[in-house]
Amino acid sequence: MTPPPASAHALRPRKLLGQLGRSGGVSQTLSMTMPLLAGALLLPQAWLLAHVIDRAVVAGEGPQLLFVPLAVIASLLALRIALALVGDVAGIKAGEAGKARLRETLIGDMLGRSPSWTAERASGALATAVIEHVEAMDGYLTRYLPAMAQAALLPLAFAVVILPIDWMAALLLLVAAPLIPVFMALAGWGAQAASERQATALSRLSGYFADRLRGITTLKLFGREAAETDGVERASEALRIRTMRVMRIAFLSSAVLEFFAALGVAGVALYVGLTFLHLVNLRSAPLSLEAGLFCLLMAPEVFAPLRTLAAHYHDQAAAKAALAELQKLFGEVPALQSQTAPHRAPDPNFEVVPAAVTLSAVRVASPTGATVIEDLDLVVKPGEHVAILGPSGSGKSTLLSVIAGLAPYEGSIRLDGRELREIEPQVLRRSIGALGQRPTIFAASMAENIRLGRPQACPTSVLRAADRARVTEFAGGLPQGLDTLLGDGGIGLSGGELQRVALARIYLLERGLLLLDEPTSHLDVLTEARVLDGLCDFARGRTMIVFTHSLAVAARMDRCYRLAQGHLLATPRPAAEWPAQRGAA
Amino acid sequence: MKALAYVLPLVGRLRGPLLLTLGLSLVTLAAGVALLGISGWFLTAAAITTAGVAFNLFAPSAGVRGLSFVRILSRYGEKVTGHDATLRLLSSLRRSTFAGLFRLVPVSRLFGRGDLVSRLVADLDALDSIFLVGLGPLATAVMAGTGMTVLLAFTLPAAAAVYAVGFAVATVGVPVLLVVASRRAGAEIVASSAALRSAILDGIEGHQDLVLFDAVGRARESAERCAGRLSAAKARLGRMTAWASAAVQALSGMVLVATLACGLSAVNGRAIDGPLMVGLVLAVVASFEASAVVVRSARGIAAAAAAADRLSALAGMPSSIVEPADPKALPPGGTVGFEDVRFSYRDGAAVLDGVSFHVAEGECVAIKGPSGVGKSTIAQLLVRLIDPAAGRVMINGRDVREVGSAALRQRVALMTQDAPVFNATVRNNLLIGRPDAADEALWVVLDLVGMKDVVSHLAAGLDTVLGEGGRTLSAGQARRICLARTLLSPASIIVLDEPTAGLDVDAERAFLEDVPSAVAGRTMIVITHAELPPAFGRVLELRAGCIAANDA
Repeated sequence: MTPPPASAHALRPRKLLGQLGRSGGVSQTLSMTMPLLAGALLLPQAWLLAHVIDRAVVAGEGPQLLFVPLAVIASLLALRIALALVGDVAGIKAGEAGKARLRETLIGDMLGRSPSWTAERASGALATAVIEHVEAMDGYLTRYLPAMAQAALLPLAFAVVILPIDWMAALLLLVAAPLIPVFMALAGWGAQAASERQATALSRLSGYFADRLRGITTLKLFGREAAETDGVERASEALRIRTMRVMRIAFLSSAVLEFFAALGVAGVALYVGLTFLHLVNLRSAPLSLEAGLFCLLMAPEVFAPLRTLAAHYHDQAAAKAALAELQKLFGEVPALQSQTAPHRAPDPNFEVVPAAVTLSAVRVASPTGATVIEDLDLVVKPGEHVAILGPSGSGKSTLLSVIAGLAPYEGSIRLDGRELREIEPQVLRRSIGALGQRPTIFAASMAENIRLGRPQACPTSVLRAADRARVTEFAGGLPQGLDTLLGDGGIGLSGGELQRVALARIYLLERGLLLLDEPTSHLDVLTEARVLDGLCDFARGRTMIVFTHSLAVAARMDRCYRLAQGHLLATPRPAAEWPAQRGAA
Repeated sequence: MKALAYVLPLVGRLRGPLLLTLGLSLVTLAAGVALLGISGWFLTAAAITTAGVAFNLFAPSAGVRGLSFVRILSRYGEKVTGHDATLRLLSSLRRSTFAGLFRLVPVSRLFGRGDLVSRLVADLDALDSIFLVGLGPLATAVMAGTGMTVLLAFTLPAAAAVYAVGFAVATVGVPVLLVVASRRAGAEIVASSAALRSAILDGIEGHQDLVLFDAVGRARESAERCAGRLSAAKARLGRMTAWASAAVQALSGMVLVATLACGLSAVNGRAIDGPLMVGLVLAVVASFEASAVVVRSARGIAAAAAAADRLSALAGMPSSIVEPADPKALPPGGTVGFEDVRFSYRDGAAVLDGVSFHVAEGECVAIKGPSGVGKSTIAQLLVRLIDPAAGRVMINGRDVREVGSAALRQRVALMTQDAPVFNATVRNNLLIGRPDAADEALWVVLDLVGMKDVVSHLAAGLDTVLGEGGRTLSAGQARRICLARTLLSPASIIVLDEPTAGLDVDAERAFLEDVPSAVAGRTMIVITHAELPPAFGRVLELRAGCIAANDA
């Protein structure tokens, strides 16, 4: 993966954040406007409160006379609470909508890439990206955006209302308030850098766990309990130190903000107090208790939206950092998808035709640029069975992925005369049945695992495939047979059993070209012979290329080649080790 | 509460920082209440005073300024110490959970791997709410509420009862209700994010197969379904929290209006003066800040409780083996004996049905047999990952169940069929086998497994980081690294479970020919179905749960 250019790095997250903010639609708008309305209603509420106190304290009126304004205060409060609730609920809806779209986009993008792309990345880190990093958008969407709208409008509006009542109080607030964003911006820069480092650390921690858990048996066997437990704590402590660095800056920025807010409120309070005592006389008319109290009640409210924004400022920093992390993993964060592409149903009338495969002057380079396959030629006629032998690391698996259309190549590979790279992926997938070197068993029943390529396959054909792959030999002994659930990573099955389940998958497909990487690995000689009988039976009328180091497999093929130093050399077919069981080839 | 029971044992070490946090948050809240109360009182008094210059202006205004700075500083301190203590707590929780997992090895049969990762990262993270945002604010709020009630009882008795009830409902009643109501949503969040993680890991690790079998669309749909479930649960929890916050605000509003009404009649009846009334009303408003914090944290408690349930389920699981109470020393040497060992693996079907054999010190023995016949079970019994149902497994004449497993595993090294290459440097991958080995020793074992040339040609040699699951290596090369690691171990008995799977015939033969001299003097048991070189040693055939034939 090449790192994105610096300018793109700075620009794209912001663009994507904007897109996310808009994806909430009406809910997003509601979540931003409702708190504004509730904020505006603070003005009459504070005024009424000041009015009631003034009448009670100065004029000495009893509660009976004040019943109406008290009731109005209560209803204003209720109205504001209701508005805030509507805003909150709408914000949650908008936030979930935005996150859902981002998740769908990432999942689609990840699975839409080539398997070599995912293989190069730590799976734990990718899972963290889709779950935790996307979750980091939540604060931005549900809290930061509404807080931003309030901070932009309410303080100014409040100050403007206070202005005709007392210009000096308004002026004090107007001077103190704008200082806040300046300091926040300063603190925010630091916070974002620290957040980015923290997001990286979180991703590493997750990848570290996945890796160590995968090998926990090995670690235990070598008595590494203590060392690896320490390692986990160390990784976790490193995350703590990074998190605290982010937190300290975030807390510091809110402390700075509170300082200015306190300064502003105290300034107004002092001024109002001094005016009441006639120590300061900047007004033409005397200041009533009602007006003074109103200024005092509104003074903290001028700063409240800014404080809310500061409290949620790190949400924005966290969202940006998470996006930067996504960008690091995905190269470029894809544009949000509006809708998932519908899954197309396979064409039932697809006909199986043995394919002709022609490779000429094929060259393949590894991701690091080293040549793995060089100037390779191979012609396989329709229905022919060919074995390609070679030492491990000679490029057998690479050659298989190239012919299976999973990896790029130079030169020409033709499938029934059509250049491989020009064949539409869905057509290609329906022509080739391939078994990789490390077949995956998914957490599902054995039958469902066999049905991987044909989910609608009927139980009879699943059973036939299982039978042919000799899966029934061991599945028959299980209480639930083919319905036995297979754990994560196929644990509970031995390597040989797993291999046979993977073969059964292929047998369920109607494909004209079979590409198999070590189809009989982990099998003992006798089982191997029986599995090969099934394979040769199935492969009749299909083209088959087998990559193997098993001579027993090679003995069953029509022709054999040896792959060495990136070239193919025709080699005599080894003598069959089990002549009695030789299948038709 | 299970969550609490799970966390409490680890809290001892952090008592200091946690108490400090509690103290600071109380100071913060008290300063906030006093700040608003004194300002209200002072201003009203100033407005109605006729004393002019004689009015004591400076004491209260200095108090107001002092309180606001105290509040800023204590809030900063509270947040820093609180977060730091919580994260420290998380580190020790991660540590103890990971350490607990070792006890359960072989663990993969019990849980999906994705689920485990989720448990460790997400569940532990969820627990932080118990302290930082759960108990601390609750304790602070209760103390502040009590103080405020006492103050009202002396100054404005009519309002005290209303305040006490309103504040208690807002601070304790509403959050408890929220926790109870959101329990299911919390559990669903934990479960669905584990399912999503599992779906994603499945999609990544099986990506090639998904592409080859044209099943990418379905994998994607299943991951999106999990994401949808997670999203719905989050939204439900969010809505509940929004309603709870609204309820707290409504209670705070009611108490404000009630206090105001009581205050007004008290002023009217000359029970208290105007400035005190205004001060009390503002103080009441300020004290409700505490309940708002409690509600915000209550939403985390439900998720934390669900996480704690899962974690304590893990902690409560029985160990796969029981360590001997009085471990005996393992006599020196490397002989192995199986005496009529029986083992049932899956639902009662016997895997080993009376297996007996003996391996002498320094002998090379191969165990062969059809796939799935229980060869790997023999290996697991030897290193005591599992115990036999009947019979004895002996090392140097001692039953392995009488020996501490640490001592046993120093004597017997097993390379499992699924031994991974870790996401670490070549060196660190090998050092797992013997942490104190020198580089020369590493090169010797690398040479032995035919990887010396490969590693010396890597960009950073022994310092090259191998990718996750060793996927930057070919399958055969990855096996050889695992093999080198095992051979590096100081154990006097080496057990290799399918060591040559994935190797080509030539390498396999070369390896099996070389291995006896490489382990020179050590006892070796190789479980394989590969063709063995003629001079290999003894071959035991395992058939139908019994050792059927011994031949040289």
